[in-house]
Amino acid sequence: MKRKLSDAGDQSPVSTPKRRRTALEQSNGALNGLAPNAALPNDDASYERPPSEQGQSTPKKVNGVSATPLQQSGLKTPTQKSKARGLFATPTKPKSAVAATPSRVKNADRSARKKSARVLFEQDEDAAWDGSERLAEEILHGDEPDTEKAGQPLAESIEPEGAEEASEKGVKQPKRRAGRPKGARNKRSPTPEGELPAHERYFFQNRAGPVRTSNATLSKVPLLTHEEYFEKLGQYEDPCKEEKEYLQSLHHRSFPQWAFEFDEGFNICLFGYGSKRKLMDEFAEWIYNHGLSATTTPTIVMVNGYTPGISIRSIFATIVTAVMGDDAPSKLGAQPAEVLELLQSALKSHEEPVTVLINSIDAPPLRRAANQALLARLAATPLIRLLVTADTPNFPVMWDISLRDQLNFVFHDCTTFLPFSAEADVVEEVNTLLGRKGRRIGGKDGVGFVLKSLPENARNLYRVLLTELITLLDDGHQSDDEGEAEVGGKDGDETGIEFRLLYQKATEEFVASSEMMFRTLLKEFHDHQMITSRMDASGMEILGVPLSRDEMEGVLEDLVLG
Amino acid sequence: MDIDGLNDALGLSNDKSQNLGTYIYQPPKHGKSAGERPSKRRKVSSTAGKDEQADRQRFVPLLNGDENAESVQLRYDTYQELWSNQENKIQDILEDVDAGVLTDVLSFVRDTSPQTCDGCIPTALVTVGSNVSSLSRLLSRLNGQLISTEEGSVVVLESGDAPNLKTTLKNIIRATVTNTDGNDGYQKFLTDRAGPRLLGYDLDLLHDYVQRKGTKKLVLALRDSEAFDPGLLTDLLSLFKSWLDRIPFTVLLGISTSVELFEGRLPRSCVALLRGKHFEVQEAGNCVDRIYESLQTDPNTNLWLGRNVTSTLFENTSDYFQSPEAFSRMVKYAYMSHFFANPLGVLLANPDSTILAQTKLCETVRNLPSFRMFCEDLVEEGSIKQVRDMLEDDEYLIQETPKYLDANQQRMRNMFQAVHVVHTCLQYTQSAKKTNVSDLSVRALSGELSESTIVEEMVAMAKTLDSDKLDKLLGRLRGILISPEADVIQEDLRTLLETCSESGPLRSGYNINSTVTKTTVVQQRIRLSKGQADLSEQAVEYTNIVDRLVALLQVHLTETLINPQDLFLHEAFLFDLRNPLKETFAPRPRFAIERALATPFDYLLSSSDVTMTKVSAKQPATAILYQLYLDSGALVNVHDLWQAFYGVFETEEADGCDDRVVMSLFYGALSELKAFGVIKNSRKKTDHLAKSAWMGL
Repeated sequence: MKRKLSDAGDQSPVSTPKRRRTALEQSNGALNGLAPNAALPNDDASYERPPSEQGQSTPKKVNGVSATPLQQSGLKTPTQKSKARGLFATPTKPKSAVAATPSRVKNADRSARKKSARVLFEQDEDAAWDGSERLAEEILHGDEPDTEKAGQPLAESIEPEGAEEASEKGVKQPKRRAGRPKGARNKRSPTPEGELPAHERYFFQNRAGPVRTSNATLSKVPLLTHEEYFEKLGQYEDPCKEEKEYLQSLHHRSFPQWAFEFDEGFNICLFGYGSKRKLMDEFAEWIYNHGLSATTTPTIVMVNGYTPGISIRSIFATIVTAVMGDDAPSKLGAQPAEVLELLQSALKSHEEPVTVLINSIDAPPLRRAANQALLARLAATPLIRLLVTADTPNFPVMWDISLRDQLNFVFHDCTTFLPFSAEADVVEEVNTLLGRKGRRIGGKDGVGFVLKSLPENARNLYRVLLTELITLLDDGHQSDDEGEAEVGGKDGDETGIEFRLLYQKATEEFVASSEMMFRTLLKEFHDHQMITSRMDASGMEILGVPLSRDEMEGVLEDLVLG
Repeated sequence: MDIDGLNDALGLSNDKSQNLGTYIYQPPKHGKSAGERPSKRRKVSSTAGKDEQADRQRFVPLLNGDENAESVQLRYDTYQELWSNQENKIQDILEDVDAGVLTDVLSFVRDTSPQTCDGCIPTALVTVGSNVSSLSRLLSRLNGQLISTEEGSVVVLESGDAPNLKTTLKNIIRATVTNTDGNDGYQKFLTDRAGPRLLGYDLDLLHDYVQRKGTKKLVLALRDSEAFDPGLLTDLLSLFKSWLDRIPFTVLLGISTSVELFEGRLPRSCVALLRGKHFEVQEAGNCVDRIYESLQTDPNTNLWLGRNVTSTLFENTSDYFQSPEAFSRMVKYAYMSHFFANPLGVLLANPDSTILAQTKLCETVRNLPSFRMFCEDLVEEGSIKQVRDMLEDDEYLIQETPKYLDANQQRMRNMFQAVHVVHTCLQYTQSAKKTNVSDLSVRALSGELSESTIVEEMVAMAKTLDSDKLDKLLGRLRGILISPEADVIQEDLRTLLETCSESGPLRSGYNINSTVTKTTVVQQRIRLSKGQADLSEQAVEYTNIVDRLVALLQVHLTETLINPQDLFLHEAFLFDLRNPLKETFAPRPRFAIERALATPFDYLLSSSDVTMTKVSAKQPATAILYQLYLDSGALVNVHDLWQAFYGVFETEEADGCDDRVVMSLFYGALSELKAFGVIKNSRKKTDHLAKSAWMGL
C-alpha cells in the first residue's frame, strides 16, 4: 500500500509505464476496499481507463504463465532510469503498448475476458490473494466500451511521455530496462507482492514455472580489474561520512561497559552490518591505555579471522608467545589442542588477564565446527577475555548450546556501515559470483593468448575439452531446470568432464597417443590455470574450465577458425 | 590518488596489520594518528585529570558526567557486595542439586572394578538432557574428590579431541599426566624414562604412570559421547578392554539423548564390553526455579528483578535450553546493568548524606515517575507542606529518601513473603498442577496476583479444608505468615481439636459434605433445595475458625500484594528493563543486518533533515543494492540489477557521475551481499544470481 501511494503521488508525471500500473492498482485497490484515496486525484483522465492495457495485462494475471506477447513488448520499452527503483521493483509496468498492435490487443482482451469468466467461475483460494479474481471481474464488467479505441490512448499516453523522458534523461539510454525478468513473474499480480508477509513472498517467488528474466548479459559491460576498482573507489565521496563517524563515536562510548563486562567474566561478541575492524583496533588501543594496573601493560592479541591461511594453532601459538614471552618452549606441538593445554597451564601462574580480539570469527577460514569448538575452549579458559566480531547474518548457528555455554558471550549490535575492505577481495568475489573465475588469467583473451603459444596438439586437446563441456552444458540445461537453485553446493562447481572420458576422446582424435603424453599436455593447462580439476564423490578426477559459457564458445570459435 | 589516502578512505591501516593472521597488539605511534580520533583523546585526558581512583575503575560517572567519584565507587562496591552474596547462594544451590548424583557416581566409581563387572569395563552412563553444563560441574568435582583422596583422577575427553585413534590416545595420556603433574611433568615424564623412548600414544606410558602413582581408578569421561565417531569409540573401548588388567579404567559417558539411542549406534560387540549403571542429572528447569526463588524471596535481598526481566529470563531458559549457569549469568548481567547505568543504584548502599547531597542526584529523584505519583498521593492526602519541602529543599529530600527506600524495600520483601504464603497454601489446595514460585512471582511483580483466579480459587478451596489439613497448613505458615492473629487462630484450632480428637477430622460449613440437598414434590414438580446440614457444635466452631483464617489471609494478601511499580523509588531497587538483557543474550543479528540495509537511516542519523524513505544515492551502496534485491524475484539478472543500481546514481547526480565509480560501488555491494550469503551464482542462465534469503523469514 505504501509503495502504491508513493508511486501514484510522485511518480506519475514522469514515468508512463508506471502510470499504467498505478491505474491498474488503483482500480484493483478500490475493489479491494483499499482505495488509495489520496492518489486518485493525481490521475488524469487518460489514466483512469487504460483499458487495452488492462486487458493486456489480465491474461497474465489470470493464468500466470503465458505472457508471451507481454514479455516481448516489455523488452522494447525504453529504460527509465529515473525511477530505477520503482521500475526495478515492479517489472509489470514497462508494458509498451507500442509493441502491441490494436488487433493483438483486441485479441488479448477477448481472451482475457474468456479467462476472466473462467476464473470467476472456478474460484479457488489462490486467486483470492493473487488478486486475479477481482481483476477478472473488473475486466468482465469494465472494458466493453473501451475496446475499440484500445490502441489510441495507449499510443497517446505512452509515446509522448516516452519522448519527453528520453530528452529529459539525455541521450544516454542504451539499455532497455524492459524485460525485468522476474518482472514477468510478478506481472501475474503486482499488487499482492508488495504486501505479502515474508513467507508468502517466499512461496510466491519460488513458484514453479519457467524463469522469466531478461536475456541481457554483462558481455557488453566491461568488468572491473583490481587496479581500476581501487582507483575508482578512491574517487568516491561517501555521502554518509559524518553519520558513520557519529555511529562509530557511539560505539566508543561503550568501551568502559565492555571492559566492565570483561571484568565480570563475560566474553563479548559484536555483530551488525559493516566492518568492525577499525572499532576493534580502537578498543585495543583503549584497553592499552586504560589498564587497571599502572605497572604492567595489558597483553592484547589481535586475530584477523578472514586471513586465508589462518589456523587455530597459529592463534594459540601467538597467545602462548604473548603470555610466556621468551619462556615459550621452542616446540609447541602440532595439534592445536596441545598448544591450548600448554597455554592453559601457563595461565595458571599468570595474573594479568589476556585479551584476545578476533575479527570476523565467522569468516570461512575459522567457520568449521572443529575450529569453533577449540575457540570455545579458549574462551572458557580463565583469564582469557575474548572479544569477537561476526559479520554474517546467521553466525549464531555456528554454536550449539554447549559451545554457547563455554563461549559465554554477551552480544552487542555494532553496526558501523564501514566497507569490508580488508576482509574481502571484492573483485575476486564478484568474479566468482558472476562465474568468471578465469578473470585472473585474463578470461577469454588470456586463454586465447596462451593457446596461441602452445603446440598444435595442445590446442586440439583444448578444443576437444571445450566441445565436450559445451555439449554437457547443453544437456545439463535441459535436465536441471527447476531444482537447480536449491542444490546448494552444485552452484559453486564447474561443469566438468571425467578424466578418463577426455583421454578416450583425445586418443580418438589422435591428440594424444599415451596417457603420459596426455598428462603432459594437461600439465601445461594447469600451469596457466586454464583448467580446473577436482575429485568427485566417487573419487574420479573431473576436469573443467574456469570460463563462462560465452567465453568457452568464443575460445572454441577462435580455435576452430584459427 | 596516493596510497595513504586510499587506505584512509577504505579504513585500512597503513602498517598492513590487517593482512596478518594473528599478532600481538602494539599501540600505534601517537603522533601520526592524533588527528584521527579526537573524541578518544579527549576522554583519556579528562579521566587522567581526575584522581587516580577514578582512572582505575570501570564505572563511568553518570548524570551527564557530574556524578562525584565517591558515588561512582560506591555504586561499584555495592554491586560487588550484593552480587557476591547472590552468587554464593547460587553456588550453594548448584552444589546441593549436584550432590545427589555426585555421591551416586562417586560410590559407583569406588565400588566397581572389572572384577565386579565380570571383566567388562565399568561404565557410568550419565544422561544430562539439556542440562549440558551440569556434567562438567560434576566431573570437575569428581576429579577433585578422587585426587584429594589419591584414588585416581578424571580425564575429560571431548569429541573434538578425538579425530582418530592415535590422537585420541595421545590426548588421553597427556591429559591424564598433566591433570596431576602439569605440563612440565608431562614433558619430564616423556623424557625421563629408562629404556627406549615410547611414542606419545603408547598405552604403556599410561600403564607406567598408573603404576608410579598407584592409581586405583582412572575415570575417562566422554563429555559428548554422541558426537564421537562410533567406529573410533568401538576401537577405543576394545583397546581399553585389553588393557583393563593393567590400567584400572572406568568409563563415564555423558549422554544428551537417551541410553537406548546411544546404545543403538554402537555395534553389539562393543556394547558387550561395557557393564554399568545409569545416572540421571536433574533437569535444568527445577534448578533455575530454585535459583530464582532464592534470589527474589530471600529476606536479605535489596534489589529485585521486575516482571519484564523475569519473563525474559524464563523465556530464554526455555527457548534456548539454557543451563543454570547461563541463567545466573543473565541475572548477574541484570545486576551489572542496574549499577552500571542507574545513578540511583547508589541509594542501595545506604550512603551518608554527603554523597546524597549532589544537586543532580536530588534532581534525578525528583524527576522519577514514582516521585511524581508519590507527590500526587501526598497532595491528595493534604500534606502539601511535605510535598513543597521535598520539591524545594534538598536537605529534606536527602533526609526523607532513605526512609522511604527502606520502607518500600520492606514492602517488597513482604510481597515476596506473601507470594510464599500463597505458594504454601497452594500446596494444600491445588490438587493437580502445582504453580511454582516463579509463575506466582511474575504475577505478583505485575501487581496482578491478589486479584488473580489462582488466589480466588485458593481461598475458596481453603474454606473447604478439613481440620487435619488446616492444621498442617497453619503449621507451615507459621514461619512465613507472621501475625499475632495467625497464632491465635492456630491456638484456637488446637484447643478445639483437643476437645474432639476422637471424632475424626472436622469439616467446615463450606465443605460439600455438609450441605444437604432436599427433594420435595410440590404440585407434581420436583423441587430441589439446598440447605445447610445441621452442623455439630464443634463444626460450627471450626467453621468460625476457617472464616477467621480466610479473612486474615485475604486482608494480608491485599495488603502485601501491591504493585511494585506504584512504590516510590522503585526505580532504585527494582530492575525491570527488558532490553539490555534481551538483546544482549538473545540477539537477532540477521534482523539487525536486514534493518541496517533496508532502512539505513535508522542507524545513520541523518544530520540533514531529508527524510529519505526511498532508495537514493545518499545511502550506502550496499543498502541501495539490497533494497533493489528485495524487490527482485528469486532469480536476478545481474545486468538489469546493475542498470537499476546505476539508475539510482544517475538520477541524483545531475552533473553526471562516473559510471566506473558507480561500478566499483556496485562491486563492493555485490561482494558484501555474497559474503552475507543472500545471493549466489545461478547457473540457470548466464549472468544471473539466485536469491537465497528472504527478508523477515
